[in-house]
Amino acid sequence: MSSFVDECRREWKRLRVPAPIANEMAADLEADLAEAQTEGASAEQVLGSGAFDPRSFAASWAAERGVIHAPAPVAKSHRSLRSLVPVAVACVAAVVIVASAVALLAGGRSAMTSVAVASPIDPRHAPPAAARVFPTQIDGGGYHHALGFAVLLAAMVAVLVLAILYWSPWTDPGRRSRRHAFADDGPDGLHRY
Amino acid sequence: MLDLCLLSVMQEGPAYGYEMTKRLRARGLTIVGEGSIYPLLGRLERDGLVQTHRAASNGGPPRKYYEASPDGERTLAAGVSEWRATRDAVDGVLGLVEAEVRP
Repeated sequence: MSSFVDECRREWKRLRVPAPIANEMAADLEADLAEAQTEGASAEQVLGSGAFDPRSFAASWAAERGVIHAPAPVAKSHRSLRSLVPVAVACVAAVVIVASAVALLAGGRSAMTSVAVASPIDPRHAPPAAARVFPTQIDGGGYHHALGFAVLLAAMVAVLVLAILYWSPWTDPGRRSRRHAFADDGPDGLHRY
Repeated sequence: MLDLCLLSVMQEGPAYGYEMTKRLRARGLTIVGEGSIYPLLGRLERDGLVQTHRAASNGGPPRKYYEASPDGERTLAAGVSEWRATRDAVDGVLGLVEAEVRP
């Protein structure tokens, strides 16, 4: 029966029930179970179905006593928002990445075409200076567009990576705190009387 | 309803958790099949319907004793009155039924 009380202690500690209250509940439970055992009664006769699930029993007792607080609905909506916003950002980023990549490829082909047309011109038959400026201006515009799309592509990839990181459960602060809480559950647990 | 039963057995005198379980059982009510009295006692304490104090039990460790507070007494009186009215109303309907359970 003491393993049942130990499980309850661990659950109360995980739920951050104040130590004096947890100690009091554990001591009362331990004394009652010991008395019942002396009288030949089973834990089930004292605890009912709770005897098979110490964690639920401990959580229920602490909640009814008002020493833990149920998660507020606001927190749930934040959690769902936290899930939806990065997904939306990731979708937008993915669309922009595809569009940028297509534009970049199209721009590259256009620039290559310009070079291919410009290169066979024989210097002896070179057009007047004013006309020679024209292909340069086209190439310059293509270069700037390509640079812009490349920057946009890089930025959107960064946004996508950040969104994935934000969305990932491994970066969830709640998960970290929960893991921390479990890590604190050493064999000593709460101080006994 | 079970909280009223707990307040009722406290009228015999202050009692700790397992002692109340025994008092309920002695009156023919076994609630352990559904759950434990500890969460119920926790709720009564949170709502200020019981007062508690810690005292030594018979040769055992100090125990937490529960007894009904003035608010608890009022709640018990109101609850019992409501229960009796409900019971009488249901009896008025079901009492007319002539039925017998055959093995």
